[in-house]
Amino acid sequence: MAIVNTQRSPDRPAPISETSVVGWLQRNLFSSVFNTLLTIFMLFIIYLAVKGILVWGLFDATFIAENRRECYDKSLTGACWAGVIDWLDNIFYGRYPRDQIWRINAGGLLLVLWMLPMWLPRVRGKVLVGATVVVFYPFLAGYMFSGGEMGMLTQIMASGAIVSFALIMANMLVGLCKDMGLNSFVLEVFGKSKAADKTQRNLLLALVAALFVPAYLWLSTWALEVISWTKWGGLFLTLVISGIGIASSLPGGILLALGRRSELPVVRVLSTGFIEVFRSVPLITVLFMATTMFPLFMPEGFVLNKLTQVIIAVILFNACYMAEIVRAGLQAIPKGQFEGAHTIGLGYWGTMGLIIMPQALKHMIPNIVGNLIGLLKDTTLVSIIGLFDLLGMLRSISKDVPWLGLHKEPLIFGAVLFFIICFSMSKYSRHLEVKLSAGEKH
Amino acid sequence: MAGWLAGWLAWYLVSNTAHNLEVRGMNTGFGFIDSSAGFDTDFKLIDYTPGIGTYGQIFLIGILNTLLVSFMAIIFSTVLGFFVGVMRLSHNWLVAKVALAYVEIFRNVPLLIQIVFWYIGVFSLLPVVKKSLDLLFGTGNLILNNRGFYLSTPIPGDLFWMTSVTFVGAVIGAVLYRRRARKIQDSTGQQTKTLLPSLAAIIGLPLVVYYLTGQPLAWDVPMLKGFNFVGDTSVPPSFLALLVALSIYHAAHIAESVRAGILSVNRGQQDAGMGIGLKPGKVMRLVIIPQAMPAIVPPLISNWMNTVKNSSLAIAIGYPDVVSLFMQTALNQAGYAVEMVGMTMAFYMLVSLTISFFLNIYNKRVQLVER
Repeated sequence: MAIVNTQRSPDRPAPISETSVVGWLQRNLFSSVFNTLLTIFMLFIIYLAVKGILVWGLFDATFIAENRRECYDKSLTGACWAGVIDWLDNIFYGRYPRDQIWRINAGGLLLVLWMLPMWLPRVRGKVLVGATVVVFYPFLAGYMFSGGEMGMLTQIMASGAIVSFALIMANMLVGLCKDMGLNSFVLEVFGKSKAADKTQRNLLLALVAALFVPAYLWLSTWALEVISWTKWGGLFLTLVISGIGIASSLPGGILLALGRRSELPVVRVLSTGFIEVFRSVPLITVLFMATTMFPLFMPEGFVLNKLTQVIIAVILFNACYMAEIVRAGLQAIPKGQFEGAHTIGLGYWGTMGLIIMPQALKHMIPNIVGNLIGLLKDTTLVSIIGLFDLLGMLRSISKDVPWLGLHKEPLIFGAVLFFIICFSMSKYSRHLEVKLSAGEKH
Repeated sequence: MAGWLAGWLAWYLVSNTAHNLEVRGMNTGFGFIDSSAGFDTDFKLIDYTPGIGTYGQIFLIGILNTLLVSFMAIIFSTVLGFFVGVMRLSHNWLVAKVALAYVEIFRNVPLLIQIVFWYIGVFSLLPVVKKSLDLLFGTGNLILNNRGFYLSTPIPGDLFWMTSVTFVGAVIGAVLYRRRARKIQDSTGQQTKTLLPSLAAIIGLPLVVYYLTGQPLAWDVPMLKGFNFVGDTSVPPSFLALLVALSIYHAAHIAESVRAGILSVNRGQQDAGMGIGLKPGKVMRLVIIPQAMPAIVPPLISNWMNTVKNSSLAIAIGYPDVVSLFMQTALNQAGYAVEMVGMTMAFYMLVSLTISFFLNIYNKRVQLVER
């Protein structure tokens, strides 16, 4: 008779050396004599660094003072943050008129709200959200920031922006409350959800047009004060330049990458040459070229302001880097994907837009975001050619009479600000990468 | 169609440029290279006298300055980057986290801010000339103050060539010795110690010869004359700030590629290395790193390329590199915009073409080994 224990014996708990804090410490910090010494040495260094930073930046620092002398009178060994605090408005908005700052804030808030649906899982139509932001938002924001006379095109596009913003907000609410798209909700309200496709489409178009007219009329009542680009500055200018750069370097990069793989020799050679030239020279030379040589290229009497020149240079420069990233992504796509797309009868643009690009871009998200972070950091270079971006503003604090010679604190403030922005961008890209590849099997 | 469009665009730009140059009365042609430049620079590696020296020389000075600072930054950042990259994978939790903090902090802060910070926040705050720091304990051979970093210049005496010859001989001997040791190991499996004997020969022999020939090397020590030190090799604070900032910034990037490269080596390789009884250090050096190299080298070299390009940020702190000296100062003085911008860009293109040429050779070699 066999003796079989039919009941599963309970799991024994993991040994205490594996689970306890002490076990963790022993394994990770004190596993050998050498490791212990290393740990102690590192702790000592960390202690010195943290203590130095805290004492200088916090405990001994001066936060309220009228000028630098007063800072010194209060404390000689600490930082003088009073200068930075005094200049905070300038650091964020440059020399933008103080009573008009609401325009920048409103523009920023608009963008945040507009992009909000992208992060809400229940909301439909995310591609449309992204597309409308790129197409319409710049016109509305551009007008809000610079003001003045509104041209015909600007007015149409800005009205488009208002309409699409309203629709996206409505879509977001509907999505959050009812878990459905705005279009199906509207059709349901009108009782046409069973009607023919054409009727449905006409109804939706009519609704959009009905929204567009009042928006257009309302916009013509707007008359914002003109604010010249020379007054733009600080973090605002940095974000404007890098924002435009980010929004346009990706499409530009895709075009250049396609051009480089094109079968037309002229297109291929030109794209390759363009990419290679811009990639092998430093950004600062491109910026100088933009400010000294662009005016020579243009027909006589055609004047671009410095900000536009800089933005064009930033876009061209980054589009070339983006092109190489996109190309690498395209090369990673197996040939079968192209053949499959041909088989189901797609043309060149259909193949690229529907089959190849989505896969290639998804593969390349970490590199793309890395490049965008680089773009944001590189924007500081415009301070060298005399624009007052974030770094330019920080550096002019030391030339302000009350804060004469206050160099270190503004720079450290700027470094921390950039660190926060760039670090969260890179963390977010890692999160995105994990999320998008979650469905893939390796 | 595309061809016509491109041709038209090119013609349009060229004709606009020609017209604009004519209207503004701007000079064209490369004649300016031989004409004399009227300004001086505070750091130069070749003889140059303002008023006599030409724009061509200015261009050369700028190129040499760029190459010097980027070459040194490449060496420092590569060494530091490997060190931090290996630290990042340390089994010691604290060490790994400190390396992580280093990488994240220096990667996410714009290089320009770092350069300006090192310049204004550190190297300009050094003591004034009268209170200079003496880094070699009062011998006056290494002096650091807010005007720069001063090294004494060695002046070789009559018999110094013997020391040099001995040194070269010792290096060749060490290489041959290593090769023989490798051969012996391949055929019999016996290991010979090579590191210590080689080091002893390379350092010891020249020293012996040096003292036997009666120390034929004089030092031109930095002397305090008037307001500054003279008669020595020196670099300005802007050089130091640029060097330190570039090295630290790029080391953070290199550390990441080193880490990625090491992680790309199959975990089994490490286990097998341990299994045949190698110590962790040797597993790293003999098993992991050689296999990680094909993954490390391409990003490493593109990092070197970026170092050369980023050295152009020197312009923010007034270090006379090719951009600030030639494309800024010289261009403002002489005004040959198209030519000068073109020459500067051509220099950078030449550098990156050279570097990517070597990278391609390396890639081919590695691929051949792989198959």
